[in-house]
Amino acid sequence: MHVTICNHEYCVLGAGPAGLQMGYFLSRSQRDYIILERNAGPGSFFQIYPRHRKLISINKIYTGRRNKEFNLRHDWNSLLSDRPSLLFQRISRELYPNADDFPRYLSTFVKELGLKVKYGADIGTIKASDFNGNQGYILTDQNGVSYQCSVLLVSTGLWVPQQVDFLGSDLVEGYESIPTDPEEFKDQAVLILGKGNSAFETAQSILGRASRIHLYSPSPVRLAWQTHYVGDLRAINNELLDTYQLKSLDGLVEGRLEDIAIGKEQLYLTLTELLDQNGNNISKITGQNLPGFHTDNFSLRQPYDRVIRCLGFRFNFSIFDGSARPPQSSGARGRLPGITAWYEGRGTPNMFVLGTAAHSRDYRMSAGGFVHGFRYTVRAVHKILEQRYHNIAWPATKLPISQLQSWILRRVNEASGPYQMFGVLGDIILLRGSYCEYLEEFPLQALPQLSALSGRPLTDQGLLVLVMQYGLNRTDTLGPGRAESEWTKAWRSNFLHPVLYYYNTLPTEKDMRQRPVGWPLPRPEALHHMVEDFLTEWDQPISHSQPLRRFLEHCLQTDLRAFYAESCFLLSLTSRTPPLFCRQGYLRKQGIVGNSHLWQHAREAGLMADHQRDITPGDDTSVSEYLKHAGAAVVSTMNFDL
Amino acid sequence: AHRIMCIVYLIAFLFSLTSEQCSSKLMEDSSQSFMERMHTGKTSFIYFGNHVNPTIKLFMEQLEMSADALQDYGISVVKVNCSKDAIANYCTGEKLMTKAYLFRGSEVLRSFDIDTVFDVNAIVSHVLFSVLFNEVRYVHTPAELLRVESAAKQNSDIVVGHIPVLGLPEHRALMEAAFVYGTKYQFVQTSGTLVLKHMGVVDLSSSQARLWFLHCKGVSRRSDPCPSTPMRKPLNTINIHTFLQLMEAPLTESVLDPSEVDVVHLHLGVPVLYLFSQPQTQHLDRATAQTLGLQLRGEVGLVLIHRDSPNVKTSLKYNAAYRLPQEDVKYFTLNSAEGVVKLFKEELLQEQKLENEEEDEEHWSDLDILDDEVSESVYRDRDLMLDLESVIELTSDTFQITVTQDDITVVLFYFKWDAVCMAFIQSYIEVADALEGMNGVKLAAVNCGEWTDICSDQNVTSFPTVLIYRPMAAAQLYRGMLGTKSLHRFILLSLGSSPYILSSSAEVMSFMEGDLYSKHMYLTPVRVLGLFSSTHDMGVTSFEEAARLLRGESILGLFAHKEMIHVWTSEVEGLSVNLPALLVSRGPGVPYEVYSLPSSSPTDLVSLIKQVELDRFPELTVENLPWYLELGKPLLLLFIGKEDSTESTKALAEIKQPLSSGQLDSFLPCWIHLGRTPVGRSILEKYLGFVPPLPVLVMSQLKTGEEVFLFPPERPLMAKNILQWIHDVENGQEQPAGLIPDGKWGPPVPFFDFLAIMDQEAPTYAVQRAPKMKTGGREDHRENKHVTPNQKQTPHPSSNPQAPRQHSEL
Repeated sequence: MHVTICNHEYCVLGAGPAGLQMGYFLSRSQRDYIILERNAGPGSFFQIYPRHRKLISINKIYTGRRNKEFNLRHDWNSLLSDRPSLLFQRISRELYPNADDFPRYLSTFVKELGLKVKYGADIGTIKASDFNGNQGYILTDQNGVSYQCSVLLVSTGLWVPQQVDFLGSDLVEGYESIPTDPEEFKDQAVLILGKGNSAFETAQSILGRASRIHLYSPSPVRLAWQTHYVGDLRAINNELLDTYQLKSLDGLVEGRLEDIAIGKEQLYLTLTELLDQNGNNISKITGQNLPGFHTDNFSLRQPYDRVIRCLGFRFNFSIFDGSARPPQSSGARGRLPGITAWYEGRGTPNMFVLGTAAHSRDYRMSAGGFVHGFRYTVRAVHKILEQRYHNIAWPATKLPISQLQSWILRRVNEASGPYQMFGVLGDIILLRGSYCEYLEEFPLQALPQLSALSGRPLTDQGLLVLVMQYGLNRTDTLGPGRAESEWTKAWRSNFLHPVLYYYNTLPTEKDMRQRPVGWPLPRPEALHHMVEDFLTEWDQPISHSQPLRRFLEHCLQTDLRAFYAESCFLLSLTSRTPPLFCRQGYLRKQGIVGNSHLWQHAREAGLMADHQRDITPGDDTSVSEYLKHAGAAVVSTMNFDL
Repeated sequence: AHRIMCIVYLIAFLFSLTSEQCSSKLMEDSSQSFMERMHTGKTSFIYFGNHVNPTIKLFMEQLEMSADALQDYGISVVKVNCSKDAIANYCTGEKLMTKAYLFRGSEVLRSFDIDTVFDVNAIVSHVLFSVLFNEVRYVHTPAELLRVESAAKQNSDIVVGHIPVLGLPEHRALMEAAFVYGTKYQFVQTSGTLVLKHMGVVDLSSSQARLWFLHCKGVSRRSDPCPSTPMRKPLNTINIHTFLQLMEAPLTESVLDPSEVDVVHLHLGVPVLYLFSQPQTQHLDRATAQTLGLQLRGEVGLVLIHRDSPNVKTSLKYNAAYRLPQEDVKYFTLNSAEGVVKLFKEELLQEQKLENEEEDEEHWSDLDILDDEVSESVYRDRDLMLDLESVIELTSDTFQITVTQDDITVVLFYFKWDAVCMAFIQSYIEVADALEGMNGVKLAAVNCGEWTDICSDQNVTSFPTVLIYRPMAAAQLYRGMLGTKSLHRFILLSLGSSPYILSSSAEVMSFMEGDLYSKHMYLTPVRVLGLFSSTHDMGVTSFEEAARLLRGESILGLFAHKEMIHVWTSEVEGLSVNLPALLVSRGPGVPYEVYSLPSSSPTDLVSLIKQVELDRFPELTVENLPWYLELGKPLLLLFIGKEDSTESTKALAEIKQPLSSGQLDSFLPCWIHLGRTPVGRSILEKYLGFVPPLPVLVMSQLKTGEEVFLFPPERPLMAKNILQWIHDVENGQEQPAGLIPDGKWGPPVPFFDFLAIMDQEAPTYAVQRAPKMKTGGREDHRENKHVTPNQKQTPHPSSNPQAPRQHSEL
């Protein structure tokens, strides 16, 4: 066999949404990369799944807003790029689009951005190897072609169906292969193992044909609209809850999957403990082995025509050689690879995991397992790569402190990354005295490694972290008192709202480990919750801006109020250090002058001194006069000769 | 010299006040004893009378009481019955009966109307005040106080008493304290509101007596102000005594356990804070204790306890303790010095503080009142629909086309929620309205809350921002004041060329005198002309680039023709020029200024041009002050009234005189016209505490110091007097008339502490976990008990540790 070896700095494994998203960033920063895909086109998972072809990711085109960043908050399918037209809405205008549209979108994405994808390269093995003292990876495909990669980016997704071993589990059909024509289920009793979206999607499609649908799994149904986790049951799939609660012969049952057994002839469900001690022979299941024999009203006592497994998918660990295999995640039933807070495989340096496979970081918490979430984590990982391998620091906007508040409000009101990846990605503000550096969308769990990962040095001035969070857990999501409108009680907000953390010094890993239960970050020096807003517009002066300003004032120990030029004039001459706003505005010749109308308001409010007591109206009425003359090019009467 | 007192004595005396008087100390003199008394040289307070009416009877009772009190100060109180012993001079005349006299020996120190010394307090306070005349300084103005301060610096501390009404118990208390502590501290008495204001009292209407301790002894540099501690309790002898004791002893050290330590504070009813010190960290601990002591001075006593002593038995888990009056010692663990200050200031001393600060706090801590003048004034306009008609609102679709259409497109980038932007947009609309219909100019605005992509593309990171777009040119940032006049002027000036290329001496003349482009005369009278020998001169490109950068800010001309320049300059009287040069005209008829023009980069040229444009004796206005403050020179500031009186004109002329001879070069001579700049009045008030008759000349050092000097109003404002005065000030022979405080500009309101509220309302919610638990650490109930699958059963706990039911906290 002829051996071909290709060298690439970056190899991206899999041309799904995460792989292409990374491809875009690598291509934009002009890196040497290749995307390897075993199929003939991108996003092949979506050629099959979801089986009933309806995507449940929201494609909300009309938001009433034209802010492109804001609109991404309600566009769950698009990938990030600098092409404003390269959005999913170009392909589909359905709120819940057809699954076929997604690979089509991905193809467009690849084509228009000219991403380097090699299709038909089915990588069978991945081995770690030493490249000049650094760990790299050698990938070999079905034709024996080898790819030497300094950095490996694994975006293979999850596609190996999750199975559970029990007696009779071979009699079970899988979600991946069931017929999707409801007619095939006509008048059948169906037991579905699982209570996630695929289970309910399957149930929903056969609801009008099957005689009886039972859903069985260990945990009760978790509703996404209650848990805020989009991986939980979405309302779009939950018709069976209706038929269950309205007693239309469907139902939900809880129990462990390992404890059941299924008899061969007729698909009876039984429990392992009711089988004979040595009863491995299922054909011998008799009436006495059935629960109904012992408990006459046992829920699942009737036999089924079909048992369908809808238990989700797992990461394909099999292609990794021992030298390159990441460990199984501690959570998510070990279905995912274990990774660090910056998405590098644990024990596999220079190998990063992207996309759904990287969901172990925020499994059942945030949106890292979904396109609308991981498109931002991919961007964050790319920034980490740029720093680590090319010494390009995390992009930061340098702002004078007097601009910080409006910058935070801007992010809070439009940023999509922290909004989708709530509790996971947050903006970091490094305080540097009279100015600050604003870093967007840093992975919060990696905060102790901020300096190394971002290439931004820390000072002793402290830092702020801006995170979007859901509040205290509530059981009654739709009950009275669910909304909080009093800003002083903002920490009790149940809905997504911005939270600011202030730290004197960077939290350590230990601080991070011991953070309060349910918190994304350790207890800070000072904390500020911005009260949830029904319209998600955090821009009101009394409820949002002023409390935020006062929080920042406390952290920075300085007065951040704005002053008109006249006040700054007074303060500049009568105090050795005028307030920050005057120093960074007025004294740099950028004072805010205002007009008599506004000054009048400020004076009536008692906020501005009234020096006009015995002064005839001179200065300001002359402005309009002045402007009149100005247009007419009249030589001024103003006093210049002194 | 005759005061040998100790504190114990004072305390004894205080208690004696309350005890029953056994016998009267009031003496009655005969002619004989009176004569003897005159020879002793002792101090006595004597009343001469000849009969008793009800008023006199009351007075005699008070006199008798004062005899007891004044005896302690070595002052005898004496009555003389003139009907028995007619003592010459005193027992005769109309003043008999209505007067009392204070003698030292035979010398009358002072006489008092008995209306003034109407009761025991009045007698004691007035008598002591007279006796202490040389020790207790009486001041009226902040300037006088500053004089006392500067004399006391590094020498002794000062006690300032503000006594609005003389002769009341507060006055007596202050005088008694002055008698006891007078050798130790400099006592100052004042009654006016000027000093009150100077000490930072906001509510001037209250007639409450007040006292401050000025820590002048310990100031490290004489230029530093004396830190002051106000006494928060009412003015009475015990409180003053306590307060002064506390000033004395911010820190005591001990080797006993807290409960054993006996410090003066406990007797004075003041809380005590104990800190424990380890031998290894003794220096550090002491430094911490000292800092804390200073911060809590006057309110809390501080004791540093040395752990190495065997008497100290407090458990090592505590590093601090405190004891409130009449309570037991409470132990706690101190995490930071700030924490302790907070504990005391915000919790333990809260009750006392509340009484004093209620009014102030109430106003500012009302959380829902906007305390920012810009936000509030914009908020009050929330019902106002802005008429943006004259401003084009740009979108992503229209932006590129619009900004390339006209000669000049001015674009404002703003946020709707930003108060400063919304305040400025009113001015922006005013400018747009004024320019409406003018050819070649268009004003537009981009709402960055909506069109975030435009704002990012244009690299706008500061709000509001104004950019000027011209076809085929990079956008120019507007760097001027965000106000109607400034922006309007900028736009109009931007319409002209920069530089104006001049080609004949006639044109140059016309340019410099303002005839050419006279339409800009009202915008700025200043013309700057670059003179070069030819257009091929290296400097020309640089100058042109600088002129481009200064477009809208300055009116610049360029004249590059050696021969013609020679012809022209020879025609202008007194003008000699070495090329290349800058020529500045400040208006028609004003002599030109010539500057040599070094070859430099355009940006350096820009600063040079901005510098030469500055007036040498400017009228300071709200709009131009920053340009002049940048020079960093002390200000020689003349305030003139709104009426243009001859006095003002004369004063201006008198300052101009030494200006032209260069004698004021180290200063920035300038003036403020209170008519055009009314805020000038507030500046004067801040400087001096009052507004004297105008014109007034003031020197404020600003960057180099905090002192403000006032040209003595009694001296005529004339050049030579001014120079003399400056000389005196520089030599430290003038006393400052006021101080510019070094305000900290910390947070204006107390912090709303969410963490504290969480800790109170949900005690475990915000607490870091104990070390043992893991991050994902949720209980993993792997119950072995078999559960029958049944829809009625209670939910089975998840067997998956990563899939807990309480996950949705996040």
